[in-house]
Amino acid sequence: MSAASAGATVPTVFIVDDDDAICDGLCNLLESVGIDAERFGSAEAFLARSLEDRPGCLLLDARLPGMTGVEFQERLIQAGTRIPIIFMTAHGDVPMVRKVMKAGAVEFLTKPFEKEELLAAIHHAFAMDSARRQERRELNAIQSRLDLLTPREREVMSLVTSGLLNKQIAAELNLSEITVKLHRRHLLDKMQAESLADLVKMAERIRTTRTW
Amino acid sequence: MAADSTQSFSHRMMEYVVRPCATAGFFVLVAFLWTFPLQHLFAYPFLFLFLGAVMGSAWFGGRIAGLISVLLSTALIDFFFVPPFYSFHVNGVAQNYWAAFIVCAIAMSWVTSTQKRSENAIKDARDLLEQRVLERTAELQRSNAEIQESERRLRTLTEAIPQQIWSAGLDGRIDYCNNHLLEYVGYGIEDLKGEEFLRILHPEDEQMFRESWGKSRELGREFEGEWRVRGADGTYRWFLIRSVPQMSPDGRIDRWYGTHIDIEERRRAEQALMQAQTELSNLSHRLGMGELAASIAHELNQPLTAVVTNAYACREWLHATPPNLDRASSTAQKIIQESKRASDVVARVRALFRKEIDSRGAVDLNRLIQDLVRLLHDDAIRRRVSIHVDLAPDLPRVSVDPVQIQQVLLNLATNGMDAMILQETHRDLLIGSRRNGADEIQIHVRDHGAGIDPEIGGKIFDPFFTTKAEGIGMGLAISRTIIEAHDGRIWMESETSRGSSFYFTIPVRS
Repeated sequence: MSAASAGATVPTVFIVDDDDAICDGLCNLLESVGIDAERFGSAEAFLARSLEDRPGCLLLDARLPGMTGVEFQERLIQAGTRIPIIFMTAHGDVPMVRKVMKAGAVEFLTKPFEKEELLAAIHHAFAMDSARRQERRELNAIQSRLDLLTPREREVMSLVTSGLLNKQIAAELNLSEITVKLHRRHLLDKMQAESLADLVKMAERIRTTRTW
Repeated sequence: MAADSTQSFSHRMMEYVVRPCATAGFFVLVAFLWTFPLQHLFAYPFLFLFLGAVMGSAWFGGRIAGLISVLLSTALIDFFFVPPFYSFHVNGVAQNYWAAFIVCAIAMSWVTSTQKRSENAIKDARDLLEQRVLERTAELQRSNAEIQESERRLRTLTEAIPQQIWSAGLDGRIDYCNNHLLEYVGYGIEDLKGEEFLRILHPEDEQMFRESWGKSRELGREFEGEWRVRGADGTYRWFLIRSVPQMSPDGRIDRWYGTHIDIEERRRAEQALMQAQTELSNLSHRLGMGELAASIAHELNQPLTAVVTNAYACREWLHATPPNLDRASSTAQKIIQESKRASDVVARVRALFRKEIDSRGAVDLNRLIQDLVRLLHDDAIRRRVSIHVDLAPDLPRVSVDPVQIQQVLLNLATNGMDAMILQETHRDLLIGSRRNGADEIQIHVRDHGAGIDPEIGGKIFDPFFTTKAEGIGMGLAISRTIIEAHDGRIWMESETSRGSSFYFTIPVRS
């Protein structure tokens, strides 16, 4: 993952709507308030470019030709793209709103909407995206440190974080207690953990991400 | 022919010659033989036995035998017993005596044979009478048996055919029901006589049946209708009940015969079909309406959204420091563009309606109402609503689109029925027409529902205004659009808890 460079980039609103006039108006409005925006005429056009993981959010028309907004959202989730989505629709369709919100949409705007409504939704989506990115950066850092460990150190780490004492670990791995202590010190150094509790927390985060 | 006449000749010889001669000969011979020994006991010629022989011959042999015996007796007596004996000569003294005997004998023969004859005649008459009586009796017995047989056959027939049959007197009182009918309703014939018969009908049908049946009897016309009849198991089935009068030869009604034909299956199939049709039309109606509304909403929303966003942007460009007048101006240009697009949508929708209105023809509004009532008939039964129609006669035809006006009528009638859904009684819907001056026809649809709150009364014709859970609020709005497109007016008058009346007018053009 090329997350390292992402932090510096300004978040962008990716507008997906088949109506040119609406794309135009939205770009115009966002530009007037100083928010970067990019427009796509269809879901496919966006999917073709979205793989470069850029910060921002998606402003999506729920009624698109070829693929509905809901299907599009499903496609993105399947592809692992976790960009926050703001839905726009011409008419309130309660079951659809429930469905897309459940699937993680940030907001559901009924056209025509107020500027404040739109901006609030965009800022909320940016904040979510940024928090998510921060989270992922940290996870990536932990992961890269984890990659530096030797296989033996990794074994020791998994036993330590599951709460075993040095003596028990030594018995489990058929090592002397002194060797275990040595591995433990290297482990904490490499993982840049300040304490055992810190290490446990890191292990926990990694474990929960894997189940994502 | 020759043989015939020969036979009748010999028969006649037997009848008039041989038998009388034999009979007379027999009696006279007997008298003669007895007189010989007895004549010596009397001083005068003894002739009484000959009188007896004449009587006997006349009685048994008839008039001819009587006369023959008179001749024979006269000859024998003259020869043997009147002096001079053994000679046919009669001397002077005996002549009178002898003549008296002859007269007596002839008279006796006459009287006796006449008597015999009249007795025979009486006897013949009696025999004839008796024979006639016997014949008549046999005939009567035969025809009785025939009548019984035909009655038995008829009864078997009424029991054999699957229909239920009854008969009623002139006054309409039921006096016979076949077993099918009795078995189906689970009553004995005694429980159904007269008025009691109505107990087998559905309570809701009873009044109508009574009226219709009474009217038929009054007019002497065939009676026919479809009614619900309760079976022995308590469930109701639809029957076609038909009754025809039996006329006497002088043209008066003697009695009534009725049949019940079970039409439940047909009725159910019809109802299912009707329901399917209604559902389909409701669905397509609703879909069409909903789709149209959604489509219009979407079409309008797109340019409006663009207008609104651009307007916000325009304000932002103007509020910027320094104001970006170029961008504000180009944005304003976009706003104008998009506003035009919105008004184009509105124009397109208008054009859509106008195009539909063009299929007009000379239409009889009363006919439209009657068609509608027929269409709603089953729906009304299901909702237990009675639809009453009050049509003005001789309405002029008007130039309207029949489908659209039917749509308006259907909307108003369905609304009216919906309005009475919570009501227990008086579910009456009145649809009527009347001439309103020379240049207008006015149609009204009146329900006896709860009425419409005056506060919302002003809004009911607005699009998307509805009081129904599943309504989309387009019925009355579209009705108004249609009526106004026909240069008519539509309005509502309502009295809380007394019901609402919807009126619309259609202009009459010469």
